Amino acid sequence: MADDKDVLRDVWFGRIPTCFALYQDEVTEKEAEPFYLLLPRVSYLTLVTDKVKKHFLKAVKPEDVEEMWFEYEGTPLKWHYPIGVLFDLHASNTALPWSITVHFKNFPERDLLHCLSNSVIEAHFMSCIKEADALKHKSQVINDMQKKDHKQLWMGLQNDKFDQFWAMNRKLMEYPTEEGGFRYIPFRIYQTMSDRPFIQKLFRPVSPEGHTHTLGDLLKEMYPAAIAHDGDSRKFQVLIQGIEPLLETPLQWLSEHLSHPDNFLHVCVLPVPTD
Amino acid sequence: MTCVDVRVRADPSRGVKGLVSRQTETWKVDVIRQLKHRDKSQHDVFHDLVRHSLRCRGRERRVTAASRSPLLIAATLVNESISTGPLRNVSAASQERRAAAATLSLRSVILQEHSRMLDKSSISADFLRTARVPAGPDVSSENDLKTMTGELACQVVALQQEVIIKEKVLEQQHRKLSAVQQSFSRTRGDQQDLQGRVSQVQEANAGLKREYDALLECHRAAEQRFRQEKQRGCELLEDMIHHKQQAAARMNSHNERRSRARQVKLQKDLQVAQETPVTMTTTPQPVFSATSPPKDFPERTHSRLFRSASATSPRILTSIKELFERKRRGNSVCSVDQEVFRPARICVSAQLPVRARHSLDAHEQSINAVRFSSSSDLLATGGTDRVIKLWDLQAGTRYHGDTVVIMGSGKLNHRGTLDGSTGGITSIEFDPAGLKVLAASYNNSALLWSIDDSVPKVTLTGHSRKVTAARFRFCPQQVVTGSADRTLKLWDLQRAACVSTVQVFSYCSDLVCSENAVISGHFDGQIRLWDTRTASCTLELPAQGKVTSLDLCSDLRQLLSCCRDDCLQLLDLRGSNRRSLRAEGFKCGSDSTKAVFSPDGGYATAGSADGSLYIWSVTNGKLQTCLSGEHSSSITAVSWSLSGNYVVSVDKSRRAVLWSDI
Repeated sequence: MADDKDVLRDVWFGRIPTCFALYQDEVTEKEAEPFYLLLPRVSYLTLVTDKVKKHFLKAVKPEDVEEMWFEYEGTPLKWHYPIGVLFDLHASNTALPWSITVHFKNFPERDLLHCLSNSVIEAHFMSCIKEADALKHKSQVINDMQKKDHKQLWMGLQNDKFDQFWAMNRKLMEYPTEEGGFRYIPFRIYQTMSDRPFIQKLFRPVSPEGHTHTLGDLLKEMYPAAIAHDGDSRKFQVLIQGIEPLLETPLQWLSEHLSHPDNFLHVCVLPVPTD
Repeated sequence: MTCVDVRVRADPSRGVKGLVSRQTETWKVDVIRQLKHRDKSQHDVFHDLVRHSLRCRGRERRVTAASRSPLLIAATLVNESISTGPLRNVSAASQERRAAAATLSLRSVILQEHSRMLDKSSISADFLRTARVPAGPDVSSENDLKTMTGELACQVVALQQEVIIKEKVLEQQHRKLSAVQQSFSRTRGDQQDLQGRVSQVQEANAGLKREYDALLECHRAAEQRFRQEKQRGCELLEDMIHHKQQAAARMNSHNERRSRARQVKLQKDLQVAQETPVTMTTTPQPVFSATSPPKDFPERTHSRLFRSASATSPRILTSIKELFERKRRGNSVCSVDQEVFRPARICVSAQLPVRARHSLDAHEQSINAVRFSSSSDLLATGGTDRVIKLWDLQAGTRYHGDTVVIMGSGKLNHRGTLDGSTGGITSIEFDPAGLKVLAASYNNSALLWSIDDSVPKVTLTGHSRKVTAARFRFCPQQVVTGSADRTLKLWDLQRAACVSTVQVFSYCSDLVCSENAVISGHFDGQIRLWDTRTASCTLELPAQGKVTSLDLCSDLRQLLSCCRDDCLQLLDLRGSNRRSLRAEGFKCGSDSTKAVFSPDGGYATAGSADGSLYIWSVTNGKLQTCLSGEHSSSITAVSWSLSGNYVVSVDKSRRAVLWSDI
């Protein structure tokens, strides 16, 4: 299926134009100019913002520098969410480029996790993959892989190497044909207006009777308010990877092709913008 | 790429889709479309802008960092232009030459990018603001660059001079190179010339070789012709010889015919002469002439009378006949005269030999037989070397006191050799007249020589194994041979053919002839007497072992046989006495050891295996003497001379010893 491959590629190489601007209250030696960058949707903020840090460190006095953190319109951006998820959740309907504010001081301890080196990101990434495989294959596939295979997954993500990553990841996307799909679909439904960070439950891709579950079935199960009933206008947007797939899209297919590199299907439910 | 339906055409980036699964994949189509749209709006539009921004950022960084030293700026700018420019210049001179150009180009590039950015940034106002900001620092640094340009210009001039010098050096190098190339091409040309010469010489060689081959061919053909001619010559020669032979034969026959004609004529003449009356000259007979017819009658009677009366005429006739007979071809075996005369010699008494007189190596190999002739003092010895040697006893003188006694022997003198036998000699016999020698040979034949001719006159073949004995018979012209093929054959000498063959059942080792009988000794230990008239065995006498030899004494009464079990037997033929002669130390040495009587019949002698000669007395059967010391190997045969004075013994080691009593 050449289309599926194209989908995978499009998902991997998705970019978000971002403009990083230094927080005005940060004291600078000279004026810090904003820094433009195309961020990969599938990666993590702290992984791809070295240039940003370098750029702004030139302006900021060295003694004022603590750990860099980002925020958008007042909301601190959790680095452990994929960038695409953050954008879809917070700024999907705003004008591009996405304007992120860079802070060097006053790290919000309660909202954000510290990320002092790439190994922290790697640990988080691998744990997401293992969790996803636990849902999909009872951790059989991930446990059969060697350490070097895990490393390959991480290196593929870190260096933006599609082929290197998917050489290993395809094993995680396989399922025994008699099952018809994974054991459970690894997904997380994010919402803006909720205390819960995300919804994650067990959900099978195939019903006991044999019907393949669709996105609509998932939402009906997990977040019924997201689906518009007949007659009502649509109230919520369901975004995956920046697009709104049709509700009849098979969940299994979505999990295979529109997952993030951490093997989770991150779904953002947003209220439809009124204007 | 074939488009299946309208929907497919809307998204040209998609590939071929199957008609069947189209319905189920609406959602997929939708997803793909949305992804593309997203990318277009979010990614593609901003891609170039962000890239340029990053690049400007980088350049700005470098410019600001390099504001400390102008050269450094130039270097960095140049390096940057080099990295961005398509060409790479290795030499420092050209690098610095482009320094000035690089600064200018840099400015133009930046300005170009500014314009590009301005074109694309119609969407975002913020971006315009940010785009203008990088232009600022560039303008301020332009002045600095201008001052640098002047300084660099001087450097450029200096460097250009260096370049000129370097170019001169390069020219020199080029000239040298061209010179070398010329010389190389010259040598190339020489080489080609030489190659041409080489090929010429090779061609010449090939031509010479071809000539040589042609000449070789001619030579071979000539040789062949020569050979053919030679062969023809030989053939012609043969023909010629043949013709000449024919001519000679014709001549011979012609001569023969003529001589025969002459003979016939002569015979006729003789007959005529015989019949013509011998006219006695005393009586003139004119009266008779008138009455010639009646004269004829008395003449005839006369001649008849004359014929019958003459006793000498046959003799004359025969002698004349003989003359002609001698001219005739063909061997005359013997003349009739000789047959008639047969001197008989009798020995009165034999002397016992005492000492050896002469000992010599008579033959090349072992000697098997020895015989004294019965009519002369000739001795014949024969052995494995296939010749018979004739010896005579030299007359020698001995002084006996003051009287001269002429004795008949001191030494054996070699008189002649009879050869022509193809096998070793087993037995020898002289004919009673002493003029012929009969020998039996290993080669299944018996041979007859005349003493004065070394080539055998007759060869009697017919036996299938070796002939052990050949003897003349009492009847004239007859020979008996005994052979290992268990037959006795009677031969007629004139015809040289076997008259009859007698099967004897056993290997015949020796035989003797008496008047009517042939006595043969056999390996089966029997002595058989054969009657020649009936050709059957009349008597069988057992001997005590293998019979190796027989001898008949001169009065034809006693038979001496020698047996392999070391004893001699005396048999009386008239009666049936039998006596054995034995002795200590006498051993029969071989299957053909010969024992003989002395000519007077008083002694019997035989040779022993240890080389000693034993002599017994016949009358009392006791050993008389044993003579040893001369022979080193076993004695094969002995013979006693007819005079009774000498004994000759021969042995296996070629030695012949003459013993005598003096």
